[in-house]
Amino acid sequence: MAAPDLLDPKSATYNTKPRLSFSSKPIVYNSGDDCDTITTVMKWKTVVAIFLLVVLYLIIGATVFKALEQPQESSQKYLIVQEKINFLSRHTCVNVSELEDLVKQVVIAIRAGVNPSGHPSNESSMWDLSSSFFFAGTVITTIGFGNVSPHTEGGRIFCIIYALLGIPLFGFLLAGVGDQLGTIFGKGIAKVEKMFVKWNVSQTKIRVTSTVLFILFGCLLFVALPALIFQNIEGWSTLESIYFVVITLTTIGFGDFVAGGSEIEYLDYYKPIVWFWILVGLAYFAAVLSMIGDWLRVISKKTKEEVGEFRAHAAEWTANVSAEFKETRRRLSVEIYDKFQRAAYIKRKLSSELGQNPGQDMMPCKRTLSVNFTDELEKEGLPTLTRNGSLYLNGLTPDCPDHGEISIIEHLK
Amino acid sequence: MSTAFRSCFVLSGFILAYITYLLLGALVFSAIERPVEETLKSDLSSLKAEFLNLSCINATALEVFLEKVLRANKYGVSVLENATLRTNWDLASSLFFANTMVTTVGYGHTTPLSDAGKAFSIVYALIGVPFTMLVLTACVQRLMHPLTYGPISVCQRRAGLQPRAASVVHFIVLLFLVVLGFFVLPALVFSAIEETWSFLDAFYFCFISLCTIGLGDFVPAEKPGQRLRALYKISVMVYLFVGLMVMFLVLRTFHKLADVHGWTAFFQLPSCDEEDEDKEPIIEREPDEESPEAEQASVKPLDPSSQVSYNSINR
Repeated sequence: MAAPDLLDPKSATYNTKPRLSFSSKPIVYNSGDDCDTITTVMKWKTVVAIFLLVVLYLIIGATVFKALEQPQESSQKYLIVQEKINFLSRHTCVNVSELEDLVKQVVIAIRAGVNPSGHPSNESSMWDLSSSFFFAGTVITTIGFGNVSPHTEGGRIFCIIYALLGIPLFGFLLAGVGDQLGTIFGKGIAKVEKMFVKWNVSQTKIRVTSTVLFILFGCLLFVALPALIFQNIEGWSTLESIYFVVITLTTIGFGDFVAGGSEIEYLDYYKPIVWFWILVGLAYFAAVLSMIGDWLRVISKKTKEEVGEFRAHAAEWTANVSAEFKETRRRLSVEIYDKFQRAAYIKRKLSSELGQNPGQDMMPCKRTLSVNFTDELEKEGLPTLTRNGSLYLNGLTPDCPDHGEISIIEHLK
Repeated sequence: MSTAFRSCFVLSGFILAYITYLLLGALVFSAIERPVEETLKSDLSSLKAEFLNLSCINATALEVFLEKVLRANKYGVSVLENATLRTNWDLASSLFFANTMVTTVGYGHTTPLSDAGKAFSIVYALIGVPFTMLVLTACVQRLMHPLTYGPISVCQRRAGLQPRAASVVHFIVLLFLVVLGFFVLPALVFSAIEETWSFLDAFYFCFISLCTIGLGDFVPAEKPGQRLRALYKISVMVYLFVGLMVMFLVLRTFHKLADVHGWTAFFQLPSCDEEDEDKEPIIEREPDEESPEAEQASVKPLDPSSQVSYNSINR
């Protein structure tokens, strides 16, 4: 039995555990060097959680696109197959394989940027200087429309090298332009804020209004106005223009709509203006997207905080409850042990007085108590848990004929 | 005052350099590609003439037909025999499409046909692009420790190199490994799977995709009759995502290298203060970022040499 050890005052000091207090801060159970592992685990968990969120986002997008687009695609397919059948039936001297060959060649040509319909002789090239300039611009800004792309080996190798050097260069430029844009807008907002301060509006409101103003003004200048211009010059619908603006300025650049890519006669300064708009619009979109990213970050931070708080509270609560439980158990076990000792002592005295009566059958009471002895010092100053001389275990009297034998399994901590 | 003047000066220098660079590129592309285009044009016109000669069709009927075919083809709908069974919008392809949109690669081989699809794309892109960039930045910040800070400190301790030399050595090794693992190897795999692609084509594809340019002249898994098409598309997706993360990592390492060598200070660029971001990558510095003017915070000087594209801005 470990009990004799506990009565030893020397071992008392080795068994003390830190007392847990009811503090508002999260309680760290373990020692300090576990802290790093806890925060590292949380970071990985955060990243994994966000990653799963992205995958979920992608899957949602995929199902929505599929639901929206597949019917449209099937109807297009049906129409074009009908066209083919009609064509073949109307012009019976053409057989299917010849037509397929022609179509294949035409498709390849289109991919190369050559339009076979119309008059191929007087067309402008896709690789004259201004179009090449535009193409180089799409490569460097990583938009990459793809309506024009290099087809020679040399062109492709050069494209790789060109992009390697050009993308960081454009990054520098974008940083500078964004900076200037920010300064200009900041000065304007400062003036507006001065006005607001006179009216005693709170700081947060000013900030919020300035952000909203920034977004609206930028939208007007870089999205709405160009969309109108494209709608008029290129002949697209409103939705298509806005779609083109967003897809271009986020540098996705599908290439299904390209400003300056159709067969229309453009004014000379149209393409350079488009290029300039792309540059400034990219800076604006960078700001907007980073703002959205910040909001997402703040949301994730708040969620993380709340989750962290919740976990901290849960940990604290668990710690306190188990500490209380241990205390109670320890107190009880110590008292039971005390009572047991006294009972045994009395019994010995009685039996020695009574002489030869050792055979009294003592039915062992089948109650085992597992005790965690933690704090030896507490043993002395605890209130007794007895009433009318009988032992109380959690308020229940043990159903023993003899209150002697209660085996105690004691653990030293 | 002098710093403002200097920054203006630097900016105009950059603009000039950029314009010159564009002009140079335009000249070279023009010189290389134009002859090929002429040959293709003449080939096509002779093909058309041949076709018209031996048949009873007149030119206008053919033109009308071709126009319709081409319009359908622009949206990825092909009229050829063996392509009718395949759809571009099954789940795997739509997932691939969503992924190319969200990583801003944007091949354009399939694009939304319906108006509702276009409207949805706008909203989806506006939310998804910063979301993806956030995820990539978080992952990269986390990866920097085992892949950059760790090896550099090991270099310094074991080999006794100076910080500058250690970072240069580490960057070169990292670059070599990345090129080998994310360009050469995938290019070999792609050129083996896609029969019409040469090794150079596959390498070109890997480069154009990982820089998020995404011209769309080469897109994997588009061959008719491709086996295990869904699995192929999804593995390409994973490759793109991981590759993009690695590119960000390389750029961030380069930024750190530039910082150590003092180049960022010379060009007045924001320096790389990785050490403070140790514990909480996404969250840290949030209280400091709320400067008195919100729009200043939102149009903060961008981090030029640490991202592939502009919208990978991290704070």
